Amino acid sequence: MEDAVLFNLRDEKQSAWENVLNYFRKRSMWMLYYCTGCGAIELPPSMTSRYDMERFGMGPMATPRQADLLLITGYLSVKTLKRVIYSYEQMQDPKYVVGFGSCPINGGIYWDAYPVINHLELFLPVDMSIAGCMPRPQAVLDAFQKLMDEIQAGKAVGYKRYRRHYDWYKRNQDAVLARTQAVLEPWEDPFSDPALVESLWKDAPAEIRERQEERHDA
Amino acid sequence: MTPERFSRMLTEFFGDAAVFADKGGAQWEVHAPRDRCLPLLSFCRDHSFVHLAFISAVDWIAENQIELVYHLWSYEHRVHLLVKTRLEREKPWMFTAHRIWGHAQPYEQEIHEMMGVFFIGNPDLSPLFLHNWKDKPPLRKDFDSRAYSLKAYTLEGLGLVPPADKEDANVPS
Repeated sequence: MEDAVLFNLRDEKQSAWENVLNYFRKRSMWMLYYCTGCGAIELPPSMTSRYDMERFGMGPMATPRQADLLLITGYLSVKTLKRVIYSYEQMQDPKYVVGFGSCPINGGIYWDAYPVINHLELFLPVDMSIAGCMPRPQAVLDAFQKLMDEIQAGKAVGYKRYRRHYDWYKRNQDAVLARTQAVLEPWEDPFSDPALVESLWKDAPAEIRERQEERHDA
Repeated sequence: MTPERFSRMLTEFFGDAAVFADKGGAQWEVHAPRDRCLPLLSFCRDHSFVHLAFISAVDWIAENQIELVYHLWSYEHRVHLLVKTRLEREKPWMFTAHRIWGHAQPYEQEIHEMMGVFFIGNPDLSPLFLHNWKDKPPLRKDFDSRAYSLKAYTLEGLGLVPPADKEDANVPS
């Protein structure tokens, strides 16, 4: 993917009332940090007395339904992506996604790994990305302040984008999660043949065979 | 126990089937064919190697074999023992060791998922980590991880197009 930015950061139409709302939204952000990868280690210093993000009006939240900010801290495997999408869809509007570290941007050091997705943007609308492996707490706080500015300016509208382009996001998610055929070449497991497995059982040591019969009886 | 003594005991019980080597640094190695491997593991367990630390698998693609390595540890003698056995690569199978050590079950489950080795008698060989995996086991040497990643997780590989951004769309908030 040549250009990481898929969407124009064009302002959505904002009413005057929404400008007022945005002012309050940016000052009370509760974040859900999804500790999928190594990035979670940078959050305790950001939250506690050394850097203290509470002075910006931010705090950690334990559940997605009460959170405004979803932090994807590090690499995302396909299995985790499914859970992240569940969490994101449980959150209430307005909600913001922050990709934390290089892995959600372009795969990072896992760009050629088989279980890890490369671009989080294909599956969820990312409002802010923090480059680095890993970003220091200063970078994290800087990104949060920039995110606050964008919320005030009406530019952080990922949740509206997700709603508008839901079919596009869903198609991408399904292409990875609900795969129906092999990516490179189909694999036929030779041991899916019951006759072969049965023939191997003949040589099994008595202990394993007996236990297997017990298991069948049970 | 000295390596010489353990080597003698192995020869006594298994004859030529078990090949012993002292790798130095308190690490010993025993090679055995598949059909003698399980009795050998029981034997080691009964001779102070009570701790199974890990089971790993190595893909020797040039020799067309997959090697299983059982890492054992003796608290009594402070020795790390590697029990190795070679399987043919087309249809690699092995008897389960989870009757000797109960916790061998998830190790074997993982090797089945990542290397495609089938363990006879293992009660659960369902996938542990991979989601909806349809390709060959990914830790085989002939699996191209980069080609997979590019095809599976990028816009071009998925055959998708960036969405058209409708200028006139008025999104209700």
